[in-house]
Amino acid sequence: MRTIIRMLAVLTIIGVISGGLLSQISIWSKPKIAAHRELETKNAIFQVLPEGKSFTKMETANLEVYSVFDDSGKLIGYAVPFEGNGFQGKIRMMAGLTSDLDKVTGLQVLEQVETPGLGTKIVEDPSKKEDPYWFPNQFKEVETQPMIGVVKNQKPVNKYDIQAITGATISSKAVVQIMNQGIQVLRKMDAEGKLNNAGGEK
Amino acid sequence: MSSKLSLYKEFTKGIWEQNTTFKQILGMCPVLAVTVSAINGLAMALATTFVLVFSSIIVAIVKKLIPDQVRIAAYILIIATFVTIVDMVMKASYPDLSKSLGPYIPLIVVNCVILGRQEAFASKNTVFRSFLDAVGMGAGVLLSLILLGAVRELFGSGTIFGIQLLPDFYEPMLVMILPAGAFITLGLMMGLFNQIALSNKEKQRKKTIEKYLSTKNSINDPVGV
Amino acid sequence: MTTITANPSYRLDLTSSPHLHSRWSTKQAMWLVIAALIPSVVSALIYFGISQILIIFVCIFFAMGTEALIKFIRKREISILDGSAAITGLLLALILPPGFSPVFAAVGSVVAIGVGKEVFGGLGYNIFNPALVGRAFLQAAFPVQMTTWKINNYNIDSVTTATPLSMLKFDGKSTAFGNLFMGNINGSLGETSALAILIGGIALVIVGVVNYRVPLAMILGLMLFGGVFWLVDPVKFSSPVFHLFAGGFLFGAFFMATDWVTSPITAKGMWIYGLMISLIIIMVRLFGGLPEGVMYAILLMNAFVPLINRYTRPRIFGVKK
Repeated sequence: MRTIIRMLAVLTIIGVISGGLLSQISIWSKPKIAAHRELETKNAIFQVLPEGKSFTKMETANLEVYSVFDDSGKLIGYAVPFEGNGFQGKIRMMAGLTSDLDKVTGLQVLEQVETPGLGTKIVEDPSKKEDPYWFPNQFKEVETQPMIGVVKNQKPVNKYDIQAITGATISSKAVVQIMNQGIQVLRKMDAEGKLNNAGGEK
Repeated sequence: MSSKLSLYKEFTKGIWEQNTTFKQILGMCPVLAVTVSAINGLAMALATTFVLVFSSIIVAIVKKLIPDQVRIAAYILIIATFVTIVDMVMKASYPDLSKSLGPYIPLIVVNCVILGRQEAFASKNTVFRSFLDAVGMGAGVLLSLILLGAVRELFGSGTIFGIQLLPDFYEPMLVMILPAGAFITLGLMMGLFNQIALSNKEKQRKKTIEKYLSTKNSINDPVGV
Repeated sequence: MTTITANPSYRLDLTSSPHLHSRWSTKQAMWLVIAALIPSVVSALIYFGISQILIIFVCIFFAMGTEALIKFIRKREISILDGSAAITGLLLALILPPGFSPVFAAVGSVVAIGVGKEVFGGLGYNIFNPALVGRAFLQAAFPVQMTTWKINNYNIDSVTTATPLSMLKFDGKSTAFGNLFMGNINGSLGETSALAILIGGIALVIVGVVNYRVPLAMILGLMLFGGVFWLVDPVKFSSPVFHLFAGGFLFGAFFMATDWVTSPITAKGMWIYGLMISLIIIMVRLFGGLPEGVMYAILLMNAFVPLINRYTRPRIFGVKK
């Protein structure tokens, strides 16, 4: 009996001390972690919509949508974090779209766990050479009507096509598919008038 | 402990003789998973060393208070506390690094290097000795992870610590930053270190024999050889 | 004091069983395999140009060089003239894509001999087929270059650079059987011409260097497993005959899976081994993410060989089970 009480007491004491210590550190670290997240989102939004100067956030049932405005407070487009499955795991990215949703203004992949050196080219080109067909850059000015498509081993002819990364067709297709699905959802929201209401003024 | 090592030995044993990665082969999960670059290896090793040193000190202090039946649970609690501290501090101060190490920081809790040192050493030795032991083991982890990370980064990306070392025409070998590369590198390194240890031992043996023979000759054995 | 000096000529060599017996010595057999590969080499040179001889020479040179170097470091007899290193180099060259960089090919040869063979102790001790280890390493190290196929010299129609298997997997296109059989298609250097492989392979079986069971089991297995899926849905799955001639199947069946060291030694074991390789190939080709699975199938089954040998060990004569 005495050993049981002692066991309980020792573990409880360790637990209490540990909990107290951790809560103190958590109080210090939490706002910092949140600030990093916010900064990341902000950077991504202005990266995909470079002319934007300010944005408002609106949360809907299935998507977060950031309406982005220029100097004069005019709506220039939306930045939307899309999420979906890639080759090995989840891909999270920020996509910039014009206000009529017909053109992509930019793309930044925020999180991915693709194959190093192949699928990771959806984020950056390891050769660091300035190539207009560097994957995320291809999405600039791509038209979303009727749908973004993928071509292989050749330069895209149509304005709605993207050239897949050699050796990472599946990852490339996954990014395009996630975009298409997300844009579909946005169009539906637009048709229901949910999107314009939120645009409003700054 | 029947035979006490010198304090200096207590510190250095973790670096070579009982190196956790190459000799004890413990804690292989982070060793293989995060060493895609030297900086990742360094960060992981520093985090591990921090947890190892502080848990060893605490465990050595409270070892008499903890009942034997719940010692593992108590050790894990102490270790988990320090791991969570590292995780939170890293997320707050070095978000990029914490992102690239991903789930492997929380997984330090189950790294058997740490629990192993508590169970095998800190729970039986004085605070100071446990501290030396932990720092030594940590240094061993640091050395091996940086070495592994640097080799893999050099061949897999052509850089070390992000500084380009190999010329532009070098085509990086992707396999080196894939898990397969970790196994190949680790295996070859282990073989190399075992070879070094073996030849050292051989040299020592020869030296001892020579010494023995020379003393024997100087005595001038009347029987003759 | 007495000294015992070992006389090398009276040395008794003790090696543990199983012992292979063959009418050929290792050296003879190795050179016969190289001879049997000549038709494939010729087909490679015809279809992809005489310049491909460079890759073949580089692979053989670096394979033999690595072997000699490692034997020298380990202070062992340098036995590169037994031909085994040359075979590894030649086999590796023949399963590389045409136009592959000779520098990478050299890296592959060094890995094939160094990591695939000598690390385990040299000829007879390796678990995996060294040439396939080299190719697997190259596949993981330089995936883009390993899947870029140079256009076949003789195939004027072929504008695309895909192999029959990847055309089938990614674009749903089939390839004419005549081209598949003659080798007038894209693919690895020595794998395209079924005719050349069959000439060399069957000759090897007839002279007794290669046991007929493994290739036969693989072919029957492919027909069986591929046939089942084909009968279930001929639209979705292509015919087993296509699978037989496409990709590296025949080359793998005659030259890779039959490696003395890394294949089972019992008759029953050989059948199991061959059938399992085919099953894995069919699974990868029909359902996997990759177009081709011969390499990984053989490597995977190589790992099972000790287990297969153990469970198919014949009953000792006069002993009850």
